[in-house]
Amino acid sequence: MNWLSTRRHFALMVAPALIIYSVYMIYPILYSLYYSFSDYDGVTATDFTGLDNYRQMAQDDAFWTSLRNTGIILGIALFLLIPLGFLLAVLLSGRVRGSGVLRALVFAPAVIAPILVGLIWIFILDPEIGLVNAFLLAIGVPAHPQWIGGPTLSPYSIGLVYLWQQIGFVLTIFYAGLRMLPRDVMEAASLDGAGRRQKLRYIQIPMLRETFGIVTALVVTGVFKVFELVYALTGGGPVHLSEVMVSYMYHITFTTQQYGYGMALAVVVFVVGALASAATFLGNRRKEEAS
Amino acid sequence: MSTDVRTRPAPPPVRETDPPRPRRRGRGAVVATAVAYLITFVILFPLLWIVLLSFQTNDNILNHPFSLSDLSLANYQRAMETLNLLVMYKNTLILAVVSVTVGLVISYMAAFALTRMVFRGRTQNALRYYFLVGLAIPVYVLLFPVYRLDIAFGLFGSYFALILPYIAVTIPFNILLLTGFLRDFPEEIEQAAVMDGVGLWRMAWKVVFPLMRPVVATLAILNVIYVWNEFPFAVTLINDPTLTTVSLGVSQFQGVYSVDHGAMMASATLVLLPQLVIYAAFQKQVIAGMTAGAVR
Repeated sequence: MNWLSTRRHFALMVAPALIIYSVYMIYPILYSLYYSFSDYDGVTATDFTGLDNYRQMAQDDAFWTSLRNTGIILGIALFLLIPLGFLLAVLLSGRVRGSGVLRALVFAPAVIAPILVGLIWIFILDPEIGLVNAFLLAIGVPAHPQWIGGPTLSPYSIGLVYLWQQIGFVLTIFYAGLRMLPRDVMEAASLDGAGRRQKLRYIQIPMLRETFGIVTALVVTGVFKVFELVYALTGGGPVHLSEVMVSYMYHITFTTQQYGYGMALAVVVFVVGALASAATFLGNRRKEEAS
Repeated sequence: MSTDVRTRPAPPPVRETDPPRPRRRGRGAVVATAVAYLITFVILFPLLWIVLLSFQTNDNILNHPFSLSDLSLANYQRAMETLNLLVMYKNTLILAVVSVTVGLVISYMAAFALTRMVFRGRTQNALRYYFLVGLAIPVYVLLFPVYRLDIAFGLFGSYFALILPYIAVTIPFNILLLTGFLRDFPEEIEQAAVMDGVGLWRMAWKVVFPLMRPVVATLAILNVIYVWNEFPFAVTLINDPTLTTVSLGVSQFQGVYSVDHGAMMASATLVLLPQLVIYAAFQKQVIAGMTAGAVR
């Protein structure tokens, strides 16, 4: 390859990807950062106002609500989605007839456009026309919870829809991990009289430490991308109570057209997402070193 | 500082095999199977529910959603009258084909140059990391700047308004996976080809590329699903109804149909079913593509 490796050819081969990537991904990040220090609104002259946007954010209740809601979805993902996905993988890797078909079916929600997922769940969760409340009524429960659209339950409902959407994905990764476990270890454990629960606790979970790390990191990055579900299910309302960070940023930027403040929110979305992923990554590394 | 986990290239899609057939099925296996089927049914129920509602009258949807009388195709008739399904599918297909093809071609060229060409110095490695930084960038941060770029370039209102960001967003992961595989490519084959007087272009496309087909196929599936389902860019960068994509169209259903829930569900079913049929046909490849990088 030495002869063929001229700098001119190298430049020609890298250039198309490099240019599109730099212009449409790297430049926008710098652009957002730059205008996050301004009062850019597209109408009046743009002034650079230093950290004013960030100060405004600290006092903006809707921003803190959006951060809390993102945290709620993250909590549901970490403490429900991952354990349930793992248990389902254990179940399906056992003696279940037709496990391949079941895995493919459970994966299906992950393939559907997220905006369509949102629309579908309106007809499950909506207090007036939704399936859940119709079912509660049919079995004689008088309660009429506002799963979406009310002041409190929306972020939890959105978290559960996210769980529904992702569980097949999480299951698949765990399933692949379980299948990689050396079979003789499991057989030896059985011969020594280990029960299912013991095998789970002392063999499968410890040996899948790395897989748990990968899933956690994927789920953490995934939570910061939840947008369509909020857009379709609640639109962030009422009065921004069900907003997540990304949807609130979208609202400020495109609906109220406070571009400067919107860019500051975008920068925070980027930083918080990157910090959460970095924490997961470091946590994984420490766990691996400890073992 | 790529913080995405997909920083580790994965070998070709894991071949799924059915679990080994158990020799003996006890009561435990029967219970496990029953539980597994029940859970699967619960997970799929929302989809079945939508399909059921699409045959109900609006009155029944509101008042007797569980009734199975009065099922009809009337909702579909109204849906077809209002919905421009063909335009949505045509636009999305054009976007997917163009951006995925161009994205893969240029990603492959860059990945080839970054791994197979021989230079002293660290340019190649530094450039590779530069590309991988993109894995940590959430697309939402790009929306407004890209909107301004599209206007500045005069692309707003054309397919290119979406094609360029779609290509850009898929480049980092394409490069991650392709460079991972290209690094392991055996040098002997290349050396033999150089002896035969093969030039760089033919080397990249005629000698090495055919052996990269499985990875490229995995990436193509992953990227097509991304573009097909993409919503944030579409809602930001398209305001011309003739350019509406599938996702954008779906987001407007609530406005278009208002209280005509039956027609809305019929439209949702008309978008949902083709997607599920295609998924059913390519199920193994789709799962392998979507979990590429996480599963090895």
